Amino acid sequence: MLINPVEKDQKRIRELELATGETISDCYQCGKCTAGCPASMDMPPSVIIQYLKLGQFDMAKNAESIWSCMACLTCSERCPKNVSPAAIIEGLKNLHLRDMDPRVNLETMDRDFLARSPQMAIISGFRKFI
Amino acid sequence: MSDKPARIPYYPGCTMKTKALGFERSAMDCAEIIGFEMDELKDWNCCGASYPLTKDNLMGLTAPTNILVEAERRCQKEEVDPNLITLCVFCYNTLKRTEYAFGQDKKKLETVNAFLDRKYEGSIRVVHYLEYLRDVIGFDNLAKMIKTDMSKYKVAPYYGCLLLKPQKEIGLDDPEDPVILHNFLDALGCKVVDFPAQVDCCGSYLVMREPKKVSKLSYDILADANEYGAETLVTACPLCQSNLDQSQSDKVQFADLDGMPVLYFTQLLAVAFGLDTKTHKLEEHNIDPRPLFEANGSDSESK
Repeated sequence: MLINPVEKDQKRIRELELATGETISDCYQCGKCTAGCPASMDMPPSVIIQYLKLGQFDMAKNAESIWSCMACLTCSERCPKNVSPAAIIEGLKNLHLRDMDPRVNLETMDRDFLARSPQMAIISGFRKFI
Repeated sequence: MSDKPARIPYYPGCTMKTKALGFERSAMDCAEIIGFEMDELKDWNCCGASYPLTKDNLMGLTAPTNILVEAERRCQKEEVDPNLITLCVFCYNTLKRTEYAFGQDKKKLETVNAFLDRKYEGSIRVVHYLEYLRDVIGFDNLAKMIKTDMSKYKVAPYYGCLLLKPQKEIGLDDPEDPVILHNFLDALGCKVVDFPAQVDCCGSYLVMREPKKVSKLSYDILADANEYGAETLVTACPLCQSNLDQSQSDKVQFADLDGMPVLYFTQLLAVAFGLDTKTHKLEEHNIDPRPLFEANGSDSESK
């Protein structure tokens, strides 16, 4: 794996920091975010951030696990360095969504789910996945 | 309190008018007993349900700001304290964080105002119904109004996430070790079941994409409450209510757990007040809570 950060990636990481308001280098990899994360991610928050620290932007951006974040904010609340992994993950998701790459398909969506679920679940889901 | 019941501007939100009617109606009935009135805003829109976590997403603040403008106008016109009461935890979180963001950064407010027809001045304070009971009414005063002996109910207080987090912005209670629902249930006279999963996430909107994961998370929470001896769970969040209640239809995941009713805290308060709960939609819950009340014969035994 390439450890030396690519210049192009450094620029994208800087843009992500500007968009989210987070400073990625503040993370010192204590792992409290991952320890508290309820989402059973195969690539957990501290690892996503470590990839960004190593300049491996696409490894973080294309992690499937970012789509399992439920914004419970446990990670952000417990971070001793005031980093918000939830915000960084949302920043990565937004890059996909703004490229018109949605993660739920409205046409095949379960109609029972739409009929049964509270409006807040549907609206939040649309905001996070479309 | 004065003789005239306080009228507080109230923002319901979409879910309160559709899937959580029982929450709203029980809250309004209880408010009448306690001595305040929730005065619904006339012209309101959806708050957007989830507060944008990234700093660049200011467009997500226009919807909640539009609600705050409406509340501000109302309070100024009627010359009442600039408060806005909410029930839904997602609405509370979104509106409260918007309030906080503008309090911290006036430039942000100017930018959002540039997109709105009516400008927001930044005066509204967002309060949750539970917060109003604690800080304005007082749980000790609430305890004096209880008509039913609730001591036979073993109730687990379930907080979830967005009622408490982020603490710096919401400031309602400690997000790791909260007490507000515990103290509320104490005031009602219930047996309060303190359980470790009280602040664990139920899976939230992930139910749209990964319902199996939400079933598992809901199971973990309910199994934990069950292990600590709870017979029902109370919450303030319609999405927690829905996830915890609906997930129990997943018979594979819930094979070793009997159905546990999940109530809104105001539905239990209505029972404690000895109110007629016919309009509180108890029958719409997936796990019917009515047998619990019937078995315990809750109708108006005096304390």
